[in-house]
Amino acid sequence: MTVITHNQRKSRLSEMLDRPGGVSVGTALAQARANLDGLQDQARAIIGDNIAVLLAKPDPNLIEPMRLDLAYSASSQIIDAASPFSMDDLCTAAKGLCDLLDAAPRQGGFDWRIATVHAQAMKLLLALPPEEQAARTAILTNLHEVLRKKLPAADQSAI
Amino acid sequence: MSGGESLRESAVFNLAGAITMIVDDSPFSLTLTSNALTGFGIRPTYACGTGMEAKKLLTDKPVDLLVVDTDMPDIDGFELVRWLRRSGPNPNAFTPVIMTASHIRRGRVTEARDCGANFVVTKPFSPALLLERILWVARDTRPFLEVGDYLGPDRRFRHTGYEGVERRADMIRKAKGMESLAL
Repeated sequence: MTVITHNQRKSRLSEMLDRPGGVSVGTALAQARANLDGLQDQARAIIGDNIAVLLAKPDPNLIEPMRLDLAYSASSQIIDAASPFSMDDLCTAAKGLCDLLDAAPRQGGFDWRIATVHAQAMKLLLALPPEEQAARTAILTNLHEVLRKKLPAADQSAI
Repeated sequence: MSGGESLRESAVFNLAGAITMIVDDSPFSLTLTSNALTGFGIRPTYACGTGMEAKKLLTDKPVDLLVVDTDMPDIDGFELVRWLRRSGPNPNAFTPVIMTASHIRRGRVTEARDCGANFVVTKPFSPALLLERILWVARDTRPFLEVGDYLGPDRRFRHTGYEGVERRADMIRKAKGMESLAL
């Protein structure tokens, strides 16, 4: 197979990186953290809204692929909102649900109780105070067990 | 993709003049990424809610760094980056690209590898990880390769020496040139 190599010119980004002035990594991270902290309440509200979407009674007119996509999108948005605030347990639970929904047959047959269990678990994780580490671990262990049992063998390498 | 470097707290960098573009269909994620970049002293110049809007701007305006979400309804991140890499003579064709993904569907892992982005970051990611990746792509000197359908940075991160007989014409020429210089 033919390989054409384009030797990369130095990017403008790399040229400006070492210019005088700038900011230290420590300061940059502290500033970024401060900028993000103001958004934490909004993130929690978005997570709550998407858990509600997962727990809502489904529209009977919604065909299975659309229902799967809707739930997948809600679960992805939970990861988006939880990720910058170190809510790693919520991210793990939402990622597991994404894996299961992605592996679900598009023609139907997905056991929707799995989505409900994940949504309820995420609701609990969101409400639990940070010091309740044992309860968090127990919830995640149970969800991992669901994932191990329900995810097709071919997709098990991801868990 | 692997690689990256651990951050030293006292290391100083200056990306204040960088023209950056963030593309994400989620307004909240756009705000999150913008706020993180602002904290790093990087002014987010363009914040686009759709791939189409980004495509238009990338055709006209120079961009130094592109942070793009993978999953978007119109033109998704993979398609946008694939188009960008093949958009030469557009100077943005070689722009460093970081892709962010909350989750990558099984069927799209190959696309993620082959779209031509410099780095794909899956969430959860912290500001520290994002900064680490930005600094990493800023120093990324990998050549761009055009192989079949692929156009993007060389996906091989480690080049181990080849022990056999060199048969690549450019390498032989290079070696001969070095010999004549040595003589």
